[in-house]
Amino acid sequence: MNPIAPDKHVSRRGFFELTLGWIAAMFAVCASAVGAVRFLVPNVLFEPSLVFKAGKPEDFPDGSVTFLEEERVFLVRQGNTFRCLSAICTHLGCTVNRTGQGYHCPCHGSVFDDQGGVKSGPAPRALEWFLVTLSKDSRLLVDKNQRVNSDKYLVL
Amino acid sequence: MKEFLPKRIWQWFERTRVGRSIFRVGLPQSNLERAQAMVSSFLLHMQPAKVNRHSLRASYSFGLGLISLYLFLILTFTGVLLMFYYVPSTDHAYNVMKDLQFVVSAGLIMRNMHRWAAHLMVIFVLLHMCRVFYTGAYKRPREFNWVLGVGLFLLTLGLSFTGYLLPWDQLAYWAITVGTNIAAYAPYIGPELKYVMLGGNAVGQEALIRFYALHVIVLPAIAGFLIAVHIWRVRKDGGLSRPDEAGDTVQQVELSQLPTSKTYGLMELARGTTPQVGRNPEDEVFAWPHLIFRELLLFLLVVAAVLFLAVFWNAPLEELANPVHPPNPAKAPWYFLGLQELVSYSAFWGGVVVPGVLVLALVLLPYLDHNRKGVGRWFARDRVVANTIFTVCLVIAIVLTIIGTLFRGPNWSWQEPWKKPPAVTESH
Repeated sequence: MNPIAPDKHVSRRGFFELTLGWIAAMFAVCASAVGAVRFLVPNVLFEPSLVFKAGKPEDFPDGSVTFLEEERVFLVRQGNTFRCLSAICTHLGCTVNRTGQGYHCPCHGSVFDDQGGVKSGPAPRALEWFLVTLSKDSRLLVDKNQRVNSDKYLVL
Repeated sequence: MKEFLPKRIWQWFERTRVGRSIFRVGLPQSNLERAQAMVSSFLLHMQPAKVNRHSLRASYSFGLGLISLYLFLILTFTGVLLMFYYVPSTDHAYNVMKDLQFVVSAGLIMRNMHRWAAHLMVIFVLLHMCRVFYTGAYKRPREFNWVLGVGLFLLTLGLSFTGYLLPWDQLAYWAITVGTNIAAYAPYIGPELKYVMLGGNAVGQEALIRFYALHVIVLPAIAGFLIAVHIWRVRKDGGLSRPDEAGDTVQQVELSQLPTSKTYGLMELARGTTPQVGRNPEDEVFAWPHLIFRELLLFLLVVAAVLFLAVFWNAPLEELANPVHPPNPAKAPWYFLGLQELVSYSAFWGGVVVPGVLVLALVLLPYLDHNRKGVGRWFARDRVVANTIFTVCLVIAIVLTIIGTLFRGPNWSWQEPWKKPPAVTESH
């Protein structure tokens, strides 16, 4: 094409070449981007399993709240009922401490009551409760994939 | 007159066949050669042959951009050295830090220099941005270079943040936990973004190697490229900004306005705002030696300052990272503590909306500001509104950062730094 006097007329063939060419180029760019992003999303996690055995029910005394360090959860026993509360603050992921009747996050000062509900501080949601069941060998089985309401107990 | 001996050796070497094959022009003796030295040397060709006197004034630019560049070079140099020992593994990273401190020759100095240069770079890039703002230097035709500068500022923060995790101590672990959880508040993509950044649900081995790859190759490569474009644009946009003076009217000629019926030399196609156009010759001096000398002197000062800090103060290293026990209080890197202070009121507003709006405002600033007056002077009267808005935002950011850094004690409660923090009772 003459660079000084560009030809304004676009032929049918030129139009299709242009359109298909751009579509193909865009498709290639998008597909590469999608592939690169998908490559970065891990398919296998080398993290501790979200389902774990917390031990025998009798290991936890009546009325106790036990902090399980490895799993970052509290195991709560009241009478013959068992529940499991996440120790990960819903604000920015710090580990909360048990203080008095409730829980307290040291990072930004969120305060939670004994049901995990937010009493004060910047936390947007209550601490999460996880499903507790009994395994075949009579151990408490916690599934951190399954969130439950605070009024759901395992009764033994 | 007898010349200085090293200079005589150098002049002899230049005349040998090997010397002439390496250096296209020798040490310049005449003005012609001074101009040639800049144009025909790879290392110097980023610089102009002649430079305006105003641009050399230390009280105008304070050399802040150049200092930032030098800090980047120091960081690259010390960073590559650190890479010869560092292992991005949760089992080894912390031990390497200890080795650098106690076993490797000059390891402590290299790590200290890297850490202090990183903090200084955040400060000096910010100061550089303030200088460019207060002198109105982002205005036409320098708008896009300001945008590149904002990108480089964000890259500086990203480089510093990704480097923060690598020592794998408590400071690193919890700063990154807090930082990535702030990112998770981004609308729609937040949780996915955090998952991809960490390569999982929590900070662990996957996160460490991802931050490592970002820190040692991805972000430095992007930053290096943008720095090159940033400096190149300084040249193409007519050198440093300066006030309009008599005989200094810059002619802006668009290519489309030129007649197309004749052929052009390259000089004629260059944009009208190169330093040569319509300039008073007496305002200009040769870059060699006036500019080169100042640049080398500044480099010496920056290296000396970083070395001074590295000799007298050690980079912090806390205990090995422990996911169970967050330090109380858990703090992000200092330059994010203003954000963390905001986040302690509301994670969404403080962590997403405010920083998002600020970055957007910075990027759009040169296109929103239609006032063309007040370029090249500090705190120009014509820019009193813009300067006031910028100063207010800056002061708020600094005050929040100081509060987050010094006035927040255990449980993120108010704590005057001169008082002893109360004992914290922890019970699990």
